[in-house]
Amino acid sequence: MSTIFPKEANKAPLQVVIALLIVIGTITAGATYYLTPKYSRVGYQPVQPVPFEHSLHVGELGLDCRYCHNHVEKSGHSNVPATSTCMNCHNQVQVLSEKLEPVRESLASGESIPWVQVHKVPDYVYFNHSVHVNRGISCFECHGQVNEMDEVRHEKSFSMGFCLECHRNPEEKLRPLDQITNLDWRPESKEAQLKFGNEMKEHWKINPPTSCSGCHR
Amino acid sequence: MNKFLKHPEPSESDLKGPHYWRSLDELAETEGFKDYLHREFPEGASELDGVNRRQFMKVMSASFAFAGVGLTGCRRPEKHVMPYSKQPEEIVHGKPLFYATAMPHRNDPVALVAETHEGRPTKLEGNALVAGSNGSTNQYAQASILDLYDPDRSKKTVQGGRTLTEAQRADYLTSVSKKYAENGGEGLAFLAEGIPSVTRQAQLKQLKAKLPNAVWAEYDAIETSNFETAAAKVLGKSVRAIYDYSKAERVLSLEADFLYSDPNHLADTLAFSKARKVDDDHPEMNRLYAAESYYSISGGMADHRLRVASADIPALASLMAASILEQAGIGANAVDALKATGEGLDVDPHWIEECAKDLLAHRGNAVVVAGPHQPQSVHALTIAMNEILQAQGSTVNYVSIPESSSSSISELAESINGGSVKTLVVLGGNPVYNAPADLNWSSVQAKVDEVIRLGEYFDETSEVSDCHINAAHFLESWGDAIAYNGTVLAIQPMILPLFQGLTESEVLEIIINGEAKEGFQIVSDALTSSLEGGAKAFEKFLHDGYWAGSASRSTSVSLDQAAVGQLLTEESLGLAKTSSSNLEIRFLRDPSLDDGRFNNNGWLQECPDPVTKLTWDNAFLVSPKLGAELGVIAGNTLVKVVRKNPNAHKRGKEQGHIIEITVDGKTLTGPAHVQPGLPDYTVVVSLGYGRTVTGNVGEGSGFNAYALRTVAGSSSVTGASAKNVGGVQQLADTQEHWSMEGRAIIREANLDFYKEHSDFVDHMGMESHSPAILGLDENGGNRRDTVALQELVKSGDNNRGNSAYVSPEFTGTHQWGMSIDLNTCTGCNACVIACQSENNIPVVGREQVLRGREMHWIRLDRYYSAGPGKDTNEIPTDPQVSLQPMTCQHCETAPCESVCPVNATVHDDEGLNVMAYNRCVGTRYCANNCPYKVRRFNFFDWNDRELGRDYEGPLGPKGMNELKKMSKNPEVSIRMRGVMEKCTYCLQRIQAAKIDQKVEARDSGDVKVPDGTIKVACEQVCPADAIVFGDVSDPESRVSKLKESNRDYGVLAYLNTRPRTTYLAKLRNPNPLMPDFYDNPLSHLEYNEASGHGDGHGDSHGDEAHATEDSGHNGH
Repeated sequence: MSTIFPKEANKAPLQVVIALLIVIGTITAGATYYLTPKYSRVGYQPVQPVPFEHSLHVGELGLDCRYCHNHVEKSGHSNVPATSTCMNCHNQVQVLSEKLEPVRESLASGESIPWVQVHKVPDYVYFNHSVHVNRGISCFECHGQVNEMDEVRHEKSFSMGFCLECHRNPEEKLRPLDQITNLDWRPESKEAQLKFGNEMKEHWKINPPTSCSGCHR
Repeated sequence: MNKFLKHPEPSESDLKGPHYWRSLDELAETEGFKDYLHREFPEGASELDGVNRRQFMKVMSASFAFAGVGLTGCRRPEKHVMPYSKQPEEIVHGKPLFYATAMPHRNDPVALVAETHEGRPTKLEGNALVAGSNGSTNQYAQASILDLYDPDRSKKTVQGGRTLTEAQRADYLTSVSKKYAENGGEGLAFLAEGIPSVTRQAQLKQLKAKLPNAVWAEYDAIETSNFETAAAKVLGKSVRAIYDYSKAERVLSLEADFLYSDPNHLADTLAFSKARKVDDDHPEMNRLYAAESYYSISGGMADHRLRVASADIPALASLMAASILEQAGIGANAVDALKATGEGLDVDPHWIEECAKDLLAHRGNAVVVAGPHQPQSVHALTIAMNEILQAQGSTVNYVSIPESSSSSISELAESINGGSVKTLVVLGGNPVYNAPADLNWSSVQAKVDEVIRLGEYFDETSEVSDCHINAAHFLESWGDAIAYNGTVLAIQPMILPLFQGLTESEVLEIIINGEAKEGFQIVSDALTSSLEGGAKAFEKFLHDGYWAGSASRSTSVSLDQAAVGQLLTEESLGLAKTSSSNLEIRFLRDPSLDDGRFNNNGWLQECPDPVTKLTWDNAFLVSPKLGAELGVIAGNTLVKVVRKNPNAHKRGKEQGHIIEITVDGKTLTGPAHVQPGLPDYTVVVSLGYGRTVTGNVGEGSGFNAYALRTVAGSSSVTGASAKNVGGVQQLADTQEHWSMEGRAIIREANLDFYKEHSDFVDHMGMESHSPAILGLDENGGNRRDTVALQELVKSGDNNRGNSAYVSPEFTGTHQWGMSIDLNTCTGCNACVIACQSENNIPVVGREQVLRGREMHWIRLDRYYSAGPGKDTNEIPTDPQVSLQPMTCQHCETAPCESVCPVNATVHDDEGLNVMAYNRCVGTRYCANNCPYKVRRFNFFDWNDRELGRDYEGPLGPKGMNELKKMSKNPEVSIRMRGVMEKCTYCLQRIQAAKIDQKVEARDSGDVKVPDGTIKVACEQVCPADAIVFGDVSDPESRVSKLKESNRDYGVLAYLNTRPRTTYLAKLRNPNPLMPDFYDNPLSHLEYNEASGHGDGHGDSHGDEAHATEDSGHNGH
């Protein structure tokens, strides 16, 4: 009887298994890398309709974050300022700047300036700004050194691990309430930070949620 | 792009010809295969016409190309943040704003506070500032917000098939005004709903002045003015009765559903529940006697319920009045006359006698109320009885109301038939659908030259009108409404009219004065000129939502006895003498759809009727006796259940037999639903269904019972006959099971029994045989205090032996829990809709409810109990009904958690059983393992699919309607297909309160949320104040205090689930002298019978033996 399959065919099952492992492994590795916030979000720096420079306004001129994002202490959302806020200064300063044309247009027409959203928490997460900035967490922890950015860039990954890192060890990040919007503030040393953090955690009763219900509703 | 694409249906030649066939079955053209095809593509298949293979490939290749782009497709799309151009005052992005407004609804508007997010209202709650309200609302008010965002709303003004622009519309109305300005309105008539408001009063005054010849008529499908008419005759004044149930120790209701359907029911429910609450400070509770022809919410709460035909209520009232007079020893002449009126009524005379005696014994604290639909004689007798009971000034207050000068719809019909009306303006309402059948309104309306109609929907009336003007929703309108007690409530817009709709006052303004005026101006002019206080008071009015001091003043009245006698003689109502050939048909305003106005509201359509538990359809409710005669009762099943549901079910779907009802030559067919507790020969039917011109939601729901209703028989008619015409219709009822089968799910006792056995709840249910949940106190009783709970929580001990469940650690600052008082819960369903509105709960449609896939997070379980010693297969004729709100119990050792393979449902540190939707993979193990059956699964993308188009698969139309999106609560996730969901204890409200507290605390440690800050949606809406939520770790919180009550028990607590939601046992307070007295509530007696516990349960066992851990049980 003639052989239908050559002898090498005996190896086929093993080859198939190995091939499958490689394919699955590649897909898994690829997905883990490409689909995680670290890859898909960090570094995202879209072009904005108005080339607003945080480095100029905050870094050089020294505007406080809360001059424009004035609801951050009251609301869950940190508001992108209304056009009228820009025009508080720009009806005096740089009134003829070409770059500010969309701003003047917006004020005249009443239409919004279509700012491109940079930071976004993952779906199904309810993040609240006010509870963080009022309780010793600086803007810096999530948004990075915005005062040095020309155009805002997504700096941190905003993955669940990123959030939990701090929610589990808040003492590492707590800072005095008057330094919340000071993006250049750094603790003297790691020990000093931990000492302050642990004290405040006790005193302020900082007990950040680590259960699902803290962020997911 | 590929949304219109579906699997092409094989053409006729495909199926028949030999060329292509997809299976042997197809070749064989078997019936089974045809059926298969039909089932797979149930609708919309015709849309495929014209799609050939080439096009299919073209479309698909585009999809493939998309897929080929691969991972870039996974990247976030670019999204924009659109800030305001000029920052409006007060708006803080992300923080809701609250404004006072009101829902106009006949003569019983509901004062509201609307929550708005960035200018769109998302949730309505009651206005607690208004006296008599604790911020509660009813199901209609809760659901009315859905109507605002209804895609089927009328969006334009149409005249003779032509769409009018806003300017054209104004011109058109001005031309009408001009036409009648000269002749003083001769030939002009208005038909409006009877919604009293100061604005309307002021405009009617102008109408009288400028167009004196115009006719103003008002019509409401649900008549509520009989009391006022009767009172005017026998009291000589135009008054209305406002009852104070908080002072009423004894209440007799003559078919009054004062806790649910009748005007002022919200305030009445609050007051009634106040008098019904039993605790250490208030050991006594009120007693309610109810006589009625259908199972109402009030009847369900009654301690003594008498089923009697609606038409026999006058006879019963006469006998009751006679008995009261006789026992009070006054009016001997009247007694005989009254007795003669009620002669032959088939009611146990002792029932009447003892009831009257009890009422008299509580003179000054007793009250008799009659349903507003009852004839004037009944109201006259009620007023007389209340006089003898010295109710005036105590339980009854009479307040003056302005006399109505409007014509009735019958008078208007007469004028039209006489040819004197040339232009008819129909403001709201829907007379073509709901006018009495004998008026034949559609043909009457057709006789008018020009009919202008203002309506929120393009409906039956619009269809036969010459001009339909789209009306603004009340959340888009300026206006005011006069509450039942006379308080003037503000109606202010939360949003600009979405479709440029007009309000009634704006239309009237143009017609009367010939020019348009802003809605705000009309209202502010009317109010500041009519009410005291001027502009300053008006500002406060807008802020508070009501005009201070505008409530009607009470007035003292004296009864004209002769007038009562005269009225009785005039009406001379006899007995109905109902029989199988002389049936009574009783028309009800529907608990969901009201008079039909909420027909296109999905939340209400899907809200189960409080007693029948039917959704989406109405049915002829028949008594078991009539059901048997008509042959609509299910045959015996092999499985013998304890108390069987007589309605036939097939695979869990109710099969309603179609019956035909004939009255006065008019016939109507519809499914029958057997309902115990009805008078034998009364058929009860809900109005509001069977609309022919309605939206997508309301289409095809139920049948139109208005077809049988006449001017004279607006609430009931007699002389009907019924026959079974064969055939069945599936009815979507949400509770197939009728009985608790002797289990102690709802624990009830008589008040007297409770006084003697204050710990009776501990001796019911399986847990009376298992160790106490929180241990025992020094007296051997079950511990309930929060300290015990704390100890248990701290120890992490399961306390109940070797349980498989590990007790989670509860380290949180708060420990949330809930207490539900079954004694005051009326089962009104307001919580069901409030929850739906708050938590973005989708509507699933009739088809899916039939499959048991309704999504409500809180439901009202209804159980009937017939009492012990009955044949277990017998259908109870006079059962007691017990209702229980059931929602996630937030078990501390939750059975759902231990079976979840992906940890999607877990406990948090504050005792909440939480659901992480993005972890859930939809195994549904949790729902299987939940003993309370409160978990709901998203079988489809309910939110993303159009109603009833769930089976179209990935190629069906997707995406939520833009309007629907606006109605969603932004604080709650929209759940997608394939995930489980359930009550979260309104997690978003808990988090908001905790965050607010922390923000306020800043660098202090004051992070504990004070008691009462959080009101969960069901608690907030509850008119009976039956639900209390709070921190159970705080011994001073309201919920802790309630949980320490000896009536507190957990449902199925013997499973060691340690539910955080517990119930306070229900108490009933029957009169021992009454012939229908029961030793204990029937469910309690059934429990005793099933469990073998005798009457002397406590004595035979000994309390200690029952509750200690090591007691060996020798069985029962």
